[in-house]
Amino acid sequence: MARSALAQETVFALRETIARLEGKPLPAQAAAKAQDVGNGIERAPGNLLTTGIDMLDEALEGGLACDTLTEIRSEGFRHAGTASGFALALCARMQMQHAASRGPDNAVLWIADRMAAQEAGKIYPLGLRRFGLAIERLFHALPTSLEDALWLAEAALGSGVFCMTILEIRGNPKAFGLTESRRLSLRAKAAGRPLLILRQAGEEEASSALFRFLVQPALACERRLPDGAMLGGSIGHPVFRLTLEKSRNPAPLSLYLEWTPHDRQFLALDPSKHALLPEQPATHPGAAFSKTVNGPDPAPSPGSVLAFDRAS
Amino acid sequence: MRLVALDEGADAAGLKRGQGLAEARAICPALIVSEEDKAADRRFHEALADWCDRYTPLVALEGDDGLFLDITGSAHLFGGEEALLQEMLTRLLEMGLQVQGAISKAPGLSSALARYAGNRIVADEDCETAIAPLPLSALRIEESLVRALNKLGLKQVGDLLGAPRAPLARRFGSHLLMRLDQALGLDEEAISPRRPVASLSAERRLAEPVQAEEDILMLAGQVAEALKPSLEARGAGGRVFELVLFRVDGKVFRISAGASRPLRDAGRIARLFQERLKGLHDELDAGFGFEILRLNVLRHEDFDTEQGDFEGDDRRHLSLGDFVDQVSARLGPDCLQTYQLRESHIPERAVLPVAALDHLSAAIAVKPSRMPEAAPLQAVGSDSRERPLRLFTHPEPLEAFAVEVPDGPPIRFRWRRLTHQVRRAEGPERLAAEWWLDGETAPTRDYFRLESENGQRFWVYRQGLYDQLANPRWFMHGVFA
Repeated sequence: MARSALAQETVFALRETIARLEGKPLPAQAAAKAQDVGNGIERAPGNLLTTGIDMLDEALEGGLACDTLTEIRSEGFRHAGTASGFALALCARMQMQHAASRGPDNAVLWIADRMAAQEAGKIYPLGLRRFGLAIERLFHALPTSLEDALWLAEAALGSGVFCMTILEIRGNPKAFGLTESRRLSLRAKAAGRPLLILRQAGEEEASSALFRFLVQPALACERRLPDGAMLGGSIGHPVFRLTLEKSRNPAPLSLYLEWTPHDRQFLALDPSKHALLPEQPATHPGAAFSKTVNGPDPAPSPGSVLAFDRAS
Repeated sequence: MRLVALDEGADAAGLKRGQGLAEARAICPALIVSEEDKAADRRFHEALADWCDRYTPLVALEGDDGLFLDITGSAHLFGGEEALLQEMLTRLLEMGLQVQGAISKAPGLSSALARYAGNRIVADEDCETAIAPLPLSALRIEESLVRALNKLGLKQVGDLLGAPRAPLARRFGSHLLMRLDQALGLDEEAISPRRPVASLSAERRLAEPVQAEEDILMLAGQVAEALKPSLEARGAGGRVFELVLFRVDGKVFRISAGASRPLRDAGRIARLFQERLKGLHDELDAGFGFEILRLNVLRHEDFDTEQGDFEGDDRRHLSLGDFVDQVSARLGPDCLQTYQLRESHIPERAVLPVAALDHLSAAIAVKPSRMPEAAPLQAVGSDSRERPLRLFTHPEPLEAFAVEVPDGPPIRFRWRRLTHQVRRAEGPERLAAEWWLDGETAPTRDYFRLESENGQRFWVYRQGLYDQLANPRWFMHGVFA
């Protein structure tokens, strides 16, 4: 008996340690906390940012916690608009949630990356308003270096002013590694404010973000007419192809979401209608090296290679 | 080449200003000459003027080698005029400068005395007797005029004082009499201080110089505390502060920091400088320490007191204003921006980025005071035109192929060396140029939303119309989600 009690004690202690590492409420306290929700600070359901899509919310264990780091990744600058769109859609939902629960102000801070601003443009408030955001208290920062950007993100989280802070990062810089993301995530937890890392043209990388999304573009819906029909050939609400790359769920979840700016809702779509054709590989990929024949510098082959389109 | 300045040794050897270099070398073969560097002289002159800021905020440059200090109301801080002049001359002498100074009621008189009579303090009633024995060039008049007067036997200022004014004015112009009056203090002469006078300032003189950043900040906090009563008396708070640090060796650092709204609280003011110092810690070389620390309020505004509420908002959090101050102090006022919407249908003109520091008060005024319970879904459709999420600062040219003439979108286009196949298109949205700004010939833009086969959505425009231009150009202006 004594031994089993001891073993239980050890298991319990381990579970607590794991819970602490993962930033979840301790199992013993969780039950107690559930009873007095009135204290206000602990994570009530209102402190979760839901997407409104059941399947996704389940995978996110109820929604994105409002005091964590979440990463959104795009594969290249050509997808910068799409990734920004998804981040801003989350932002708009956050604003809506805050407005409903009389939370803090709807201020949003976008910390831009200089290179990304040149490659993919700067955010445009009128477009953001059209997209469903409240832009009265939209702040845009363009720091010169990544160090400044990180400091700014940390200061913004610590100040607790912003209902959402978006930190745009280009690629996988060395200066933003696991240590820095851990630091930001701890700061977010301490301040109880969310941070979105928007990684443009980045690889998958270990970070302390609880969830990581990969956002890819998808064909937009057509515009809906009042009678429910679709207006052929029109470009309606944007659609994202969303892949939940990192979560507690082992299988990566992939789905197509439509964003309706008017009611700030996501809508899950049938994948088959919006799937893109696989991108055509280049006819002559430049990266392939020719084989070395007869020494290091063979004579060039006669004639020149023309970039014909693929026959089929 | 001519000599422009001489030291004591050269003076003793009998050299003169304006002498040719060859002649001077003949007189004194061991002469050491160095080329004149006017810019460096000027910098040194200004540095000295900065140093003199410790005695009064009103310091003006006089010519190439003089300084005017308006010590009205500040002499008593140094134990009277005598002590002030003595201390100043001693300290400058210790710095290796040969300086002469004089105190009197008029700038012109002081200038004359300092240059021609040595260190003196002249009481208001002794002006005439003090200036009478000085040569005429003490009056700051041209060399030719002095020579002309000398020819007439008028060699000292006293000779002019006795002479009738009307003939002098007729013969030599009113300038001479104006200078004479200025020297006597009969005519008001304004000196132009180098810097605007701070509306409020407080300072601390230290017996032992400080070097550490924490000490500087602590002192800044204390000095700010000293400013508080004066700010309260005016019902104002400071918007722009300046911390002036006088280093022991005479160098002066000026660090200014702005606040997004009027400030009075010493702790907050000190925090502004904390961020500012972190931002420029390399540029601020403490050397052997700072001996005087002064806090100026360069701009102040009315202070609105806010009453705290019993709810006691979450005190872990700063206010938006604090955050903006913090960031602007550290990364510069231009880093953090917010937006102002304007009445213009040209996309890049409809939104004006403004520094958050300046705009915050306006932004707060716009903010709805309390959100109603229900989610206020703002009228998204108030402006139903589609606008992109990201807009390029400079529209990028693209090659459009297979365009439907005259008003259609391209079927394919090439942008950044990639060909995009257009799947769907919407448009055109025709935006005419603002003729009142751009002129009547500015081309019209036709905007299209395009969706490529890859699912990317672009905002492109054609500049000009097909019936006006043979080959209008196309531009990429933004991307949609």
